[in-house]
Amino acid sequence: MIAAISNSGFGRAFSTPLGVIAGGFLILLVVVALFAPWITPFDIALQDLDNRNTAPAWPHLMGTDEFGRDVLSRVIYGARTSLSVSATAIGISVTVGMILGAAAGYFGGMFERAVMTVVDLTWSFPDILIALIFVAILGPGLTSTMFAIAIAYLAQFTRLTRAQIVRLKQETFVEATINLGASPIHIVFRHLLPNALAPVIVVAMLAIGDGIVLEATLGFFGLGAQPPTPSWGAMMSSGTAQLFIAPWVIILPGVAIAITVIAVNLFGDELVRALDIRDRLRGS
Amino acid sequence: MIIKYSIQRLLMIIPVSLSISVFIFLIVHMLPGDPIDNLIRVGSSPADRIALIAKYGLDQSLFKQYIIWIGRIFTGDFGDAIVLRRPVADLIGQNLPYSLQLGALAFAFSSIVGLILGITAWAARNSWVEQVVKGFILLGSTVPGFWLALLMILLFSVTLGWFPVSGAKTWSSIVLPVLTIGFGGIALVARVTRVALLDVAREDFITLLHAKGLSRPVILFRHLLPHALLPVVTILALRIGWILGGAVTVEFVFGRPGLGSLLIRALGQRDYPVVQGCLLMLALAVMLGTLIGDITQAAMDPRIREASK
Amino acid sequence: MNYMSKTLMFSASALMSVGILTASLPSSAIAQEATFVFPAGEIGATSYNPITSSNLNSAASLIYDRLVEQDSDQSFHPHLATSWDESADGMTWIFKLRAGVKFHDGEPFNADTIASWIPDFVGTENAFMTAAIEKVEVIDPLTVKFVMKRPEPNLLYNLASTFMGVPGQKSYDSQGKDFGVKTAIGTGPFKLEKFEIGLETVVVRNDDYAWASDLSKNQGKAKIAKITFREIADQSTAFLELKTGGVDLLLGVPTDFLSILKKEKGVSVITMAGTGIQYMAINTTSEPFTDINVRQATALAINQSAILKSVYNGVGQEAHNFLINSLPAAKVKPALEISFNQAKAKKLLDGAGWKMGADGVRMKGGKALKVKLFTKNDTELKRLTQVIQAQLKDVGMDAVITVFDSSTIRDQYKKNNHQLAVRGYDWNNADILEWFFSGTRLGYPNVSMWTDAKSEKFKDTAMTKSTTSAERIANFRAYHEYVLSQFLFAPIYQPATNIAYNTKSLKVPAKIRGSRFRSQTIVDMEVIK
Repeated sequence: MIAAISNSGFGRAFSTPLGVIAGGFLILLVVVALFAPWITPFDIALQDLDNRNTAPAWPHLMGTDEFGRDVLSRVIYGARTSLSVSATAIGISVTVGMILGAAAGYFGGMFERAVMTVVDLTWSFPDILIALIFVAILGPGLTSTMFAIAIAYLAQFTRLTRAQIVRLKQETFVEATINLGASPIHIVFRHLLPNALAPVIVVAMLAIGDGIVLEATLGFFGLGAQPPTPSWGAMMSSGTAQLFIAPWVIILPGVAIAITVIAVNLFGDELVRALDIRDRLRGS
Repeated sequence: MIIKYSIQRLLMIIPVSLSISVFIFLIVHMLPGDPIDNLIRVGSSPADRIALIAKYGLDQSLFKQYIIWIGRIFTGDFGDAIVLRRPVADLIGQNLPYSLQLGALAFAFSSIVGLILGITAWAARNSWVEQVVKGFILLGSTVPGFWLALLMILLFSVTLGWFPVSGAKTWSSIVLPVLTIGFGGIALVARVTRVALLDVAREDFITLLHAKGLSRPVILFRHLLPHALLPVVTILALRIGWILGGAVTVEFVFGRPGLGSLLIRALGQRDYPVVQGCLLMLALAVMLGTLIGDITQAAMDPRIREASK
Repeated sequence: MNYMSKTLMFSASALMSVGILTASLPSSAIAQEATFVFPAGEIGATSYNPITSSNLNSAASLIYDRLVEQDSDQSFHPHLATSWDESADGMTWIFKLRAGVKFHDGEPFNADTIASWIPDFVGTENAFMTAAIEKVEVIDPLTVKFVMKRPEPNLLYNLASTFMGVPGQKSYDSQGKDFGVKTAIGTGPFKLEKFEIGLETVVVRNDDYAWASDLSKNQGKAKIAKITFREIADQSTAFLELKTGGVDLLLGVPTDFLSILKKEKGVSVITMAGTGIQYMAINTTSEPFTDINVRQATALAINQSAILKSVYNGVGQEAHNFLINSLPAAKVKPALEISFNQAKAKKLLDGAGWKMGADGVRMKGGKALKVKLFTKNDTELKRLTQVIQAQLKDVGMDAVITVFDSSTIRDQYKKNNHQLAVRGYDWNNADILEWFFSGTRLGYPNVSMWTDAKSEKFKDTAMTKSTTSAERIANFRAYHEYVLSQFLFAPIYQPATNIAYNTKSLKVPAKIRGSRFRSQTIVDMEVIK
């Protein structure tokens, strides 16, 4: 089984040093996020008002924040928040996007045009505005963040899938299968979606990177995770006042975001190269 | 052909705009809270509040309020803000120039730098230079805007003193905001450019040009780029909405007025006429951009044009 | 004398004469221009029309003068009105006006101005400020009589408000909707030169100004010639502007930044007594807070002094009732003041049937003491709320925090979805009690959802049955004491107003007069570099 995985496209992504570093970091990050409640050195909500804003030193390896809470623990937990929000959001986006895109591409005509117009609007609207409107409707919190990220990237997945469908519609084997009596659903699942899956996964990875950044921006405005749940953006926001006293509160989460998103992007590029799906990505 | 397609799309803008206006109106009125609570001051009586609701027509049915609003829009009257107490057109008119200024310059910056980086990454493909350039491209889009803005202020304003910290009066005050937004946009342009070049460069006629003995720069600039630019322009046209309203975070940190900030403030105060007016304007601009984008894409890909008939 | 000493004497005398000359040069060789930054609460004003605006900023206090000014000790001082007289029954007021006052466009200020100005309020959002005035009679060019519909002991307070700055009547009537946008004519020490929404307001000195109130030392024109007021929403950006010398003065600094500001060389911070209270409203209609003992326990769980020390670094004051210290109606019976008492809080909860559970959360009848703790999306409020959450946990109450934006939270209040809400107000008059606890304002602003017959009676007496100022104070004190006895809220903190400025460029008077940092102080300031 290991041989099968490593020979597949995903496995090939690990064949370069860059792929190994980026991919390895991401796997580590996912593990950390999953096990965060058990591996944080301190309770993330434990306040220690006599030890506020202390510099990195043992036992607080990344220092403490304005409430005396351990920054390292909160950065670790922040990974959990950022990753889970982005992943859930992109998951929703991919599912809805692929359904919409497949339907639009398959049925064509007015339906396709209507769907693409609406979907394009979501992509052309700045994602921060969509997010803020959602927050105004649903209230601040991770749900609004998730919906906002999901909508912001919906267009990419819809376009990708639709482009695949349109391309494959022209293929003769599809015509033949239809003439032989196969139902549209069968065609969608057996032929069209598997081909669309690989590019979608790659774009999803890149979108997760952007999602992490958007979640941080919302957190900066105080609209993401509710206190005391840590989120990298919210940590940076409440840290700006301490800029010259405790700069690590701003710098460290920012570095965490940067490294994570860079790793995601690099691994995504390696995947593109490994799966050799560059031309399937043209439609986005 | 293209003309017929364009006219088809142009005509569709009217029904689409109307449906969007309904959508905008409904969303805005679905928001919890209302503008009157943002208007009343200590000392006023509960009766005053009821009088205000009637004064602004907020006690009428949603349908009636919508008709009144959209009717005024058709005569060019965007109405008066409730909490911000000025005609909406005035408010937009005062903020729009700043957004356009910042957006256009940032757009130009990311397009130019993105193009250069994308071309470089393609020209140096399969070498270590490509990896370096790709890393460079990544820098801007991996950090949140406000973090980058803060770092820039700390480095260039506070430490080096080259630029003012904030404001919108002098030309030097626009440099850091443009850089902050611009860095974020580079990745998209560069990526699209590189992919477009990779595609175009496979075509047979490029091989033919090589065989004819044309030099690589000539091939690049005279033959490859014009074809590769089409998808780039398409993508960029679709992002017009970002030019107008996407700079909210940067405007906030650098203390600049702008359409995005106006929208967010009005949203926070539930100032219905302002939010509706701004969203409608953004939607119209975005549709225009999408139209341009779609037309160029149709001109580029006969298969898609064929399929949409 | 030999050559050397002649030269020496010559140069010495030359130096001396140069020294004398420069010493006698007017200090206005320095450009008297300064840049101020609006505080966060004053951002986004879109008009300088005091009669129709809902949001006025500090620059408006420089453009317009008021009939009276209020000092921080609540006393009223003459400004455009030199003296006033209230009849025994409160139904008539006579105001004597100052002579020689002119508007920026040359129009003279006199009794006709007042007679034309007061009716302007009718039909506007601010009509309630003059609602008690029946009509204005001109007695002579410098005397007016207000005939009242009912006694209004609060009249002087309203007249001292920035919203009752007097606009030039000729200009006001002719400009209509454009007044306050393109032009703003007042009698103030500064004239409006330029106004760009969301960006800045520029005011220039009124050289004819000779009628400052006695709250200012300088009775003539202002020393500063031009002030630019900038709007900067991000507090860190504002701080960095002050640090780099891009601006000269920040009109409001969050307490967060005080510690770094104090470390800055060349920056000085003035702390003025604030004009508001931060408190936690308790929803009296929501279980378990229907029980007055639980409410009292909740209020007693709040440790005001720990909060003052850790959240606000000792800046400001603790709050133990609903009104700011300087208001006479705040001087209630000491037994009614609400202070931290954790032992008593725990006992009260035990007595109410809430027994401590194994995980540190109290239980009653199988239900856990889990409550909703709402607050607005504001950095300081959120920090405060997190500390309060911890203090509530210490008495066995599990409070779950939800943060909302201000419009949404009001909607939540009106839908009665809340239980505890950490919030604040900024108002320096006792009628804030009516605003937040009147039975006619349930939901918002009456977040405590409180109403009972006794409360309404106290309220009516205080609001409408007071004829003199002393009576009003006594009536409001009684209302205040009743509200305290019912534990409708937990008092937390009285914020201070902090002003930070560049000592190298500005000279600010040592003692700040007035309840807020306004025109009375600004006319005394000068630029020194």
